[in-house]
Amino acid sequence: MHIFEKRWSTALSADKKEYTQFVMRQDETVESFLQFDPERGIALQHTNGSLAGIPFGVKDNLAVDSYQLTCGSKILSGFTSPYTATAVQKLIDNGAVVVGKTNLDQFGMGSSTDTSAFKKTNNPWDTERVAGGSSGGSAAAVAAGLVPFALGTDTGGSVRQPASFCGIYGLKPTYGVVSRYGLTAYASSLDVVGVLSKTVDQSRIVFNLMKGQDERDNTSIMHPGSSNGGAVKRIGVLTAQKGVLHPDVEKSYAEAVGRLQQNGYTTREIDIETMKYVVPVYYTIATAEASANLARYTGIRYGYAAQDAKSSSDLMEESRNEGFGDEIKLRILLGTYVLRSGFQDQYYHRAQKIRTAIRNEFSRLFNEVDVILMPVFPTPPFKHGDSELTPFQQKVADKYTCAANLTGFPAISIPSSVENGLPVGVQLIAPPFEEERLFAVARVCEKDFPSPDSPLYKTSWS
Amino acid sequence: MYQTFIGLEIHIHLITNSKVFCSCRNEFGAEPNTNICPVCMGYPGVLPSLNAEAVRKSYQVCMALDCTLNETAIFERKNYFYPDMPKNYQISQFAFPFGINGFFDIDLGGGTVKRIRIHDVHLEEDAGKMIHSGGVSFLDYNRAGTPLLEIVTEPDLASGEEAEIFLQQFRQMVRYLGVTDGNMEEGSMRCDANVSINEQGKGLGIKTEVKNLNSSRFVNKALEYEIKRHTKVISAGGTIIQETRLWDEDRNVTRSMRTKESSNDYRYFPEPDLPPYLPDKDFLQEVRESLVELPLARKGRFMSEYALSESSAAFVTGEKEIADFFEKMVQHGVAPQTAARWLSGDVQKQLNLSGESLKASALTPERLSRLLVMVEDGKISRDAAKKVLAAIFTENEEPEKLVKDLGLEQVSNKEDLEKVVSEIVNAHEKVAEAIRNGADKQIGFLMGQVMKATAGKANPKIAQQLIKNNIFKQG
Repeated sequence: MHIFEKRWSTALSADKKEYTQFVMRQDETVESFLQFDPERGIALQHTNGSLAGIPFGVKDNLAVDSYQLTCGSKILSGFTSPYTATAVQKLIDNGAVVVGKTNLDQFGMGSSTDTSAFKKTNNPWDTERVAGGSSGGSAAAVAAGLVPFALGTDTGGSVRQPASFCGIYGLKPTYGVVSRYGLTAYASSLDVVGVLSKTVDQSRIVFNLMKGQDERDNTSIMHPGSSNGGAVKRIGVLTAQKGVLHPDVEKSYAEAVGRLQQNGYTTREIDIETMKYVVPVYYTIATAEASANLARYTGIRYGYAAQDAKSSSDLMEESRNEGFGDEIKLRILLGTYVLRSGFQDQYYHRAQKIRTAIRNEFSRLFNEVDVILMPVFPTPPFKHGDSELTPFQQKVADKYTCAANLTGFPAISIPSSVENGLPVGVQLIAPPFEEERLFAVARVCEKDFPSPDSPLYKTSWS
Repeated sequence: MYQTFIGLEIHIHLITNSKVFCSCRNEFGAEPNTNICPVCMGYPGVLPSLNAEAVRKSYQVCMALDCTLNETAIFERKNYFYPDMPKNYQISQFAFPFGINGFFDIDLGGGTVKRIRIHDVHLEEDAGKMIHSGGVSFLDYNRAGTPLLEIVTEPDLASGEEAEIFLQQFRQMVRYLGVTDGNMEEGSMRCDANVSINEQGKGLGIKTEVKNLNSSRFVNKALEYEIKRHTKVISAGGTIIQETRLWDEDRNVTRSMRTKESSNDYRYFPEPDLPPYLPDKDFLQEVRESLVELPLARKGRFMSEYALSESSAAFVTGEKEIADFFEKMVQHGVAPQTAARWLSGDVQKQLNLSGESLKASALTPERLSRLLVMVEDGKISRDAAKKVLAAIFTENEEPEKLVKDLGLEQVSNKEDLEKVVSEIVNAHEKVAEAIRNGADKQIGFLMGQVMKATAGKANPKIAQQLIKNNIFKQG
């Protein structure tokens, strides 16, 4: 069995028209791509390799030379990247071909992809529903069969939650093992480049090609490899408190636990004391960093510039006011607030201390278990708009995914069942550098329950 | 009586091949916006990558100032919006800079040395430049991301003059280290000064900060102006407003700088894109061993070891290249006083004429030493040596060849000279007679005649002896 089905390696060969027309036709329904332009990707290709000719999508907050880089925001509308992110370049260097840039919540801030300034991405399982976020475009493109894998970024769950919403795999590697150079920063100490794919091995091969220390990213580190060859025996299962999870998610979660037990894993219920701090700590640190990271967008050097500004400070103010969406402004304000002098002890420094406490608790747990299982998101894919989940409820729901970002530990979202026509996933978290453990368990589960095909998924271009 | 407290914040541009966080060239005076890249332009997705050369030079300064080195140095983001700052935050150091609690001894002359405490030394990136012209503003980002080292003193200076001396000697020191060219006019060394006065024993007063000081002379003048202004206000029972003021060099006054924001909150927080910097012990040891002898120490040594006068030692040690040149000459057998006299006199004159630096000129310690040894040995006269020195600058030739080409070799051969002397004495019998009768000064006249006859090449010592011999032998 090949890691990529044959149609992917030939999709961009001589008669690539069939493939490109298929994508364009499908994407009228899904709206996953902000820019679909395989010719630019073909122009960047210079070699063959283990991914020769394989098309892939790139979230539009990752830089790819000659492609747009909008981050889903008006403030970067019309901006073309003059360089390529290290992680993307490594895939290009192994023969893979970028075909386009996928939709996202502005600057990766959101759980629905609905905060994109350009379009709403629809879930291939039910187009009235969101594909999740912020890497919703990448997840929907994979689930609709437009690409076998796509790159996303994960700051608080932005790869794992949309993967779960779309019934595919979503990997968030250990912080630092994949270079962030070319990843438009939202929250630098949490941001990670991740993979969304239809199979476990696809995520694995892509991850292995992307990882490595990068002189352009001083926070990047060499992956030392797994300490135990990726072996897993004991799995800690986070106790799901009654009433917290949507019934469909609760059912799916129990099913996943049963599947692990049937496959011979020893499971053990665990409580994580610090889980209740995850969301406030996440939003304190992420917004603080974001308030500085997003300061560079002023309309002076690139991107959207307000018209008829009377001075440089007016130009900066008006460009930011007109260019940023509400969610961005909310987070910049929050971040500015928590960093004020005299208030840092109360917010930012305190959050850093709790972050350390969270990491310590997870490290302690990993003395007793090899991986931890927990839900990805408390609800199935929700409908566009506020009717099912308000933006505030969406933030509270980040609880399960943010922990892996705050600790920097690797995590993977895997499909666990389809409930009432919608996919649900569960999440595995491992100690740092133990991605192999995640792949090992995910592969075992995949044998029993592979990624379900969405109603829009097709295995041929016609 | 009031006591004055002055503290300085000095920024020096470090000399490095590339900028502090990217590989763009770090140079002054290039065409606008030619030394830029996505990183120093703050494009989406870029990250800083720390320049090891800038770190090394920072530690050299820290060590020269006897700072305590933080075991872990942390870069932080200083947040504020300005069009010439690409990211709208400056990567700097704040709570944990490279060096803290150092000192710098300034030499006030006559053996008086004053110790000025250093608060901290931290590395940061410079901003670009905004140029306003006829209602339009232009931005040049060449300077954005160039390495800037900030040295902050404690308020230990007591007058404008002390501040000026501090700056001159500090500049000399950092030039010795080779970390900056210290050019204040080009902005590679900048200085802000803060000053307060208070009644004796009452500690610091309310300070004002003075900016736009692009020479050490202006620092002195601006501070003296501020001290007078503070004294006047306080003597009249008023209070000083804590503010930033600009030095107006045309009117010799400081003016209040109207600021939009009354107080900036820079919201410092650790830079998540750069891991904490832990200097390696071996690296620090290696930097320490590579440190050169600093000007003040070298001046003291030159006075004791070479018996130079204070002013002479101060001149020779003023620039490292002159001091090095001097010591090489001494090694080549030139008397220290002679070497110092030539370096401060005729060599300096020639350098001023040619506009060259000593290093770039054709003069080497070997050439000058050989030239002066020729004078010592009586092969050429001092005047001839001056001519040869000038010729070295223009002809770039060895001194021996120039002496020959210019025909400056002294006639020291006694037989040849005796012939000339006896001719002259015979021709001026009356003068010889007068000398015999005690008119010693007239020997000078005969010397002049000998020189005339030999086109100045006669060895004066030998000629004089021969004249005396000739006159008194005959008598």
